[in-house]
Amino acid sequence: MLRYRTIAAAPVRSASATWQVITGLVTDTIATAAALSRSEAEQAMSVAAPAGRMLVAGGHLDRHPLTLIAGQVHCEITTTSGTAALTAEENLNPVPGVASAETFTIYLPSPDPLGAVVSAAVAGHARLSGATPPAEPQATASSAPLIDLAALRKEVTGR
Amino acid sequence: MTSVSTHNLTFTRTHTATYLTDLILGTISNTLAHLGIAASRFGRDWDMNEAAINAWIAEGFLAQVVLECHRPSGVVAPVIEFPVSYTTAGAADAEFTASRARLARFLAKLDQVPAGTTYRLFCTFTGPHTPQPGWGPATRASTGGLRSTTFGTLGRAPDGSAGMRYLYR
Repeated sequence: MLRYRTIAAAPVRSASATWQVITGLVTDTIATAAALSRSEAEQAMSVAAPAGRMLVAGGHLDRHPLTLIAGQVHCEITTTSGTAALTAEENLNPVPGVASAETFTIYLPSPDPLGAVVSAAVAGHARLSGATPPAEPQATASSAPLIDLAALRKEVTGR
Repeated sequence: MTSVSTHNLTFTRTHTATYLTDLILGTISNTLAHLGIAASRFGRDWDMNEAAINAWIAEGFLAQVVLECHRPSGVVAPVIEFPVSYTTAGAADAEFTASRARLARFLAKLDQVPAGTTYRLFCTFTGPHTPQPGWGPATRASTGGLRSTTFGTLGRAPDGSAGMRYLYR
């Protein structure tokens, strides 16, 4: 499941405030998974903060998303800056579909010239990565039927 | 009518300060990275620097933010100045713009500095300003003998703009 979230950055929020909002979104999402730890997500985002604030302030997250992968969910989080941020519509609710996730990784983008900064940050926590996120597993997620037609037929017709 | 104007002034000055602060700090981040200067301290001090510069722009007396690069040889170069100018409320369009693509091209041409080069940040003022944690009086290095290139306007906001000037050997 590919999901998207866009967060309003400057002039609506400073880079540090924007990173706090992104942190809240990530940790609230991870907290919906019974097998995952909110505090671990908070620690990871805290370790990533020095690089994250630079990515926000430099406008890099406007173009290169931070990607949270938890179970089958791939959520790309970007920012919007400048005049467009003033009218941006945000959805800060936890990303759905993570409840059964058993692991997660936060992928930070590594745009030029901040590659070394991001590399140093992701080295500080096992849940962080500066690699390109793996492709979304579309085949298993989208090809499976949403309704079990055989079970429904049996329930309705008794056959 | 008066109360509406007052509200708009407060709104735009606050947003202008936030926007220009991010623009300047984001540009310093990118500049340090391009020059090859370790930015870990800059990252750790982010909240402190952000709060101070934001407050000083909101007050309207921050003249410029200055990034000095101190080489192991003792030479101070390059020096990057970020002058801030203020416009009368209502005189500018209510737009927030940045020259990020042009900035990326400009920074890509910079030469790296020798390993071990460190940096210092300064702010200069045109009037009274509130004290901010982590900031105190200091003296800038001389820029005598340095050549300069003016980048022009980094970005604009309704109540002000920020530019950049690059001084080098």
